[in-house]
Amino acid sequence: MPDKTSNGVQCHEFDTLLSDALDGVLTGVQLDAFHAHTRTCSVCGPLFAEVQAGRNWLKDLTEVEPPASLVTNILASTTGVDTQRLRVNVSASQGASSFSPSWWERAQAHISGAIQPIWGTVRQPRFAMSFGMAFFSLSVALSVLGVKPADLRSISLRPAAIRHTYYNTQARVVRYYENIRFVYEVESRVRELKRNVVPAEAAPAGEKKDHKNDTTQQPEQKQDRNYSQNDTHLILACAPLGPSVFDSLNHDPLNQDSLNLDQRDQDPLNQDLPVVSVTTYRRFV
Amino acid sequence: MEDVQVVAMLVRRCVAGDAAAWEEIVQTYNRRIYNICYRFAGSADDAEDLAQEVFIKMYRTLASYDSSKGAFVTWVTTITRNLLVDHFRKTKQDRITDSLDAATSAHEDALPLSEQIQDQSAPPDARVRSREVGETVHAALARLSPELREAVILRDLQDLDYREIATVLKVPEGTVKSRINRGRAELARLLQRTYRQVM
Repeated sequence: MPDKTSNGVQCHEFDTLLSDALDGVLTGVQLDAFHAHTRTCSVCGPLFAEVQAGRNWLKDLTEVEPPASLVTNILASTTGVDTQRLRVNVSASQGASSFSPSWWERAQAHISGAIQPIWGTVRQPRFAMSFGMAFFSLSVALSVLGVKPADLRSISLRPAAIRHTYYNTQARVVRYYENIRFVYEVESRVRELKRNVVPAEAAPAGEKKDHKNDTTQQPEQKQDRNYSQNDTHLILACAPLGPSVFDSLNHDPLNQDSLNLDQRDQDPLNQDLPVVSVTTYRRFV
Repeated sequence: MEDVQVVAMLVRRCVAGDAAAWEEIVQTYNRRIYNICYRFAGSADDAEDLAQEVFIKMYRTLASYDSSKGAFVTWVTTITRNLLVDHFRKTKQDRITDSLDAATSAHEDALPLSEQIQDQSAPPDARVRSREVGETVHAALARLSPELREAVILRDLQDLDYREIATVLKVPEGTVKSRINRGRAELARLLQRTYRQVM
């Protein structure tokens, strides 16, 4: 735009004055000077005419009516709340002078605000097939396991009943586990292996120590069994030669047996006495 | 003009989780936002989608609105304008420059611009004529550059004052006035050219 001055108005000021003139802000001398400039200036004159024409064209544009579904769609995509219910709330809140939402409404709004983006994603068609398949798999699995939705109605939720159900289920699981053929076979194998291994390991450590000191080359006598190998083993016994019967009774019979046998030949008093041999059957239980 | 106190209260209720307050906001501003989107995008379907996006964005950022910084309508218009500019940039590759012979109107039965102008005098009903003129101007408006178009829409169709437009567009008031004048002049030239071709 050339910087030309005519009637006190410069061309570079024309833009500002043009808006003011069209808006009716220019008055008096300023407005006269502006109109005089438009009449004389070859650039600003046609510009003014064009701008005025354009403004008049735009006046023909009336507001368009938004689609009826727009509000519903907006509310569904933001709050996801039923609009009918909201309308009732709006009319109710208009009557009230001051509005204070209850904690329940605030909690609901917070929860719906948090869930809405997730729910919006879930509702996308690309996830629909996945959820369908998951639901189908779950229903097949439940029917295979014998769970019927109708049975859920008859479930008692008393603590005693729940405990009873728990123990019943546990017993059923244990029974089922133990009755599995594979488990049974494994257990029997383990038992068999144990039977084979236990005799070799049975000897205690103390006895092994005695073996080292044993130079007799005799077979080991098991001390935990009876002294006699069987019930018919003979044990020699004789009448005591000591001063009294009580003395002989105080002695250990086993040791007494061996002492009597040894002392019989050495003691001169005993040589004239008749030897009485008594055979006893001793049984150690 | 919006009552600042009432709107601020409405926004506070909405931020507190009052769904009814949010519906009130949607009911109040959906027409304005839809019209801005329709005039800028040029198509009814695009306008509906964009208006929905504007409200979703508004719903998410409502807590950031500060009534001391400006009017709610300016804030709403700024969000709308930013989203429209983003949409314009995204669809720049797909957009074709329509000639006046192309049917740019959103309506299915819309005729090419030259035919609309040719038949302008024909319809006996003034209401029908007015609607067709409106569609012609709408088609011409869609041919303006985005910078001029948004300035003209905000001033002549949304009746925002220069300061509000300057806030929304983030440019000085002088630039706003200049853009509005250039937009109006360009629109008039487009329509005059079309008339001349038809005549």
